[in-house]
Amino acid sequence: MSETTEQNEKQLWGREGFRNDPYIEAESLDAAGDAPAVILPLAAWLGLDDDIRRTSNRRIGVMVAPGEDIEPLLDKLDTIPLIALQFPAFNDGRSYSKAELLKGRHGFSGELRAVGDVLIDQVVFMLRAGFDTLQVSNPIALERLNASDLHDTPGYYQPGRGSAQTAGGYSWRRTPAG
Amino acid sequence: MYRYDEFDHAFVAARVEQFKDQVQRRLSGELTEDQFKPLRLMNGVYLQLHAYMLRVAVPYGTLSAKQMRKLGSIARVYDRGYGHFTTRQNIQYNWPALGDIPKILDELAEVEMHAMQTSGNCIRNVTADHFAGAAADEVADPRPFAEILRQWSSLHPEFSFLPRKFKIAVTGAEHDRAAIQTHDIGLHLKKNAAGELGFGVYIGGGQGRTPMVAKNIRDFLPAEDLLSYTTAIVRVYNLHGRRDNKYKARIKILVHETGTEELTRQIEAEWRALKESDLKLPQGDINAIDTYFRPPVLPERPEGWGTLAVAKRADAGFAAWVDQNVTPHRHPDYGVVTISLKPIGGIPGDASAEQMELVADIAEKFSQDEIRVSHEQNLVLPHVALADLRTVYDLLLTDGLATANAGLITDIIACPGLDYCALANARSIPVAQRISERFGAPARQSEIGDLKIKISGCINACGHHHVGHIGILGVEKKGEELYQITLGGSADEITTVGEITGRGFSSEEVVDAIEKIVDTYLGLRTGRQENFLAAYRRVGAAPFKEALYGPVSRAA
Repeated sequence: MSETTEQNEKQLWGREGFRNDPYIEAESLDAAGDAPAVILPLAAWLGLDDDIRRTSNRRIGVMVAPGEDIEPLLDKLDTIPLIALQFPAFNDGRSYSKAELLKGRHGFSGELRAVGDVLIDQVVFMLRAGFDTLQVSNPIALERLNASDLHDTPGYYQPGRGSAQTAGGYSWRRTPAG
Repeated sequence: MYRYDEFDHAFVAARVEQFKDQVQRRLSGELTEDQFKPLRLMNGVYLQLHAYMLRVAVPYGTLSAKQMRKLGSIARVYDRGYGHFTTRQNIQYNWPALGDIPKILDELAEVEMHAMQTSGNCIRNVTADHFAGAAADEVADPRPFAEILRQWSSLHPEFSFLPRKFKIAVTGAEHDRAAIQTHDIGLHLKKNAAGELGFGVYIGGGQGRTPMVAKNIRDFLPAEDLLSYTTAIVRVYNLHGRRDNKYKARIKILVHETGTEELTRQIEAEWRALKESDLKLPQGDINAIDTYFRPPVLPERPEGWGTLAVAKRADAGFAAWVDQNVTPHRHPDYGVVTISLKPIGGIPGDASAEQMELVADIAEKFSQDEIRVSHEQNLVLPHVALADLRTVYDLLLTDGLATANAGLITDIIACPGLDYCALANARSIPVAQRISERFGAPARQSEIGDLKIKISGCINACGHHHVGHIGILGVEKKGEELYQITLGGSADEITTVGEITGRGFSSEEVVDAIEKIVDTYLGLRTGRQENFLAAYRRVGAAPFKEALYGPVSRAA
């Protein structure tokens, strides 16, 4: 019962604001019933037959815990609609590096989602590392995102997504795009 | 020195505004201490034994007179009239009220300073040789690269939640004054045969409960690859460093457990993918940052040679200070002055508001407006004409800043210890004070010669005891403070971790034990030219253990 309540409190947010989340999380395809979009744990996702992944009429995303390696996903990226990287605690930063590798190095074009302990002070880091969406349940984060108050800085000292090089500025500096 | 441009000003101002809001929400009760903790740590605010502590970054230890004056004024207005300079070239205020901290940050921003990344599991303030840009033995000034690293690491989206804190040090001379081999990354700026700048790269040095000397993983990294290579190192660490145990989370443990060769392979593989990315430093950018650190134009002052000799002959106290606290400058008419913050019987690294202001005034008039903070918790005037040394000395004398003990036995590094720190097991400051008093007579100190004593009040080793020629570690045993002694540590170009002598000593015994060690050294050295460390390296621990514990059979 309490689990359902918790699920209801999670909201999905992206640069354009809050949005509906078509995905459900499930341990296996069977457990997902007839949901049209499912997120499976990495092991379950890797256990699927390649054909099922390709021919299924449902979207099958994959959830990766911080201690899990993204290597086995790399040659299948074009078949993955969504990768969710976990933040079991806000201070476990491994998923930032994975986001950077997936989006920056390997050109993953599906949805990259941050799930777990998403706090307002990490939102900009997540967006810049390459996350498209964040699953948010922290009340302060929800309130600030509702008010479009991202705790952003007017400039950044590193290249990152959603930013542009400043004309005549140092090569490592960026300003928010748009 | 570096000056903020509009970009930097806007960035720091935005962070101060955010923190103001967070403090407001904490004070109003909207945020609990637990929720506030990660936010305050991003801004250098710790909760200590008695109060909040604010640690302010002094990037690579370089300050202008105006900045130093501001640090003094903050000590007076918001603290108890003093501040504490740390082994990472920063300054700490031990008693600020939380409600005042946003105002302090505002005032710091006015003089282009901040407290970001002085705590938390991120890339901390980048440190550098405190004699950078002045020392006669320097190949190139490391500070432009420290500044590039400072900027690049500020609120880094990928590297703000590392397994543990991450410290980078840079030196530009063969003689390492920045202790680079005790850092997570140590960079040795040098020139190759073609005269191009690059870095010897070391990783995995550190102290704490598992002291390790850094491993050299690259002899010469071209300067343009600084950020891509650093990114590769930190990314491999972020992904694979241990997070199950905070005492095993530093990169030194990853190096140790993975093996230097294998970890280097991973780093190099990551780097090959990054090398030609946006992180490559254009020479134009390196030059532009370098311009800020262009050496000051120093007028010829040859009259100093003669006047200095006369003044030294006339005053033995002044002569001792010059011999001990003034090091050669690259300009022969100038010297680099170390201002000791280790008065006999005083608290290592503490400076009063008035002392800070005095140093600021002197720097403005006599040192090209520049001051350095050393990791040995002293201050440095990098560009003083020999002809002005007497005047500078007289001014320093007026407020107890002319102690002639740089590098001597009373120039002790000590962590704040149990007097302030929530982590400490034992007091450090009182032990430092008693050792200082025991050996404080100028003739005795000078007879003993170069000897670095470093004291930590717990195994976290903030007082760098592992790399003290004599190290003292405070531990707690059955409710009593006990002090363990290590010998033979060093943090220069030949970095070694000190060896534990044997059982620890009580607070009452420890100073006598140090005296026995010193007397043993004096008895066995080949002459004054063989300093403590050299003698120890020649004879080993045995004679010292015997002096401390009696015949060898008992010590073994």
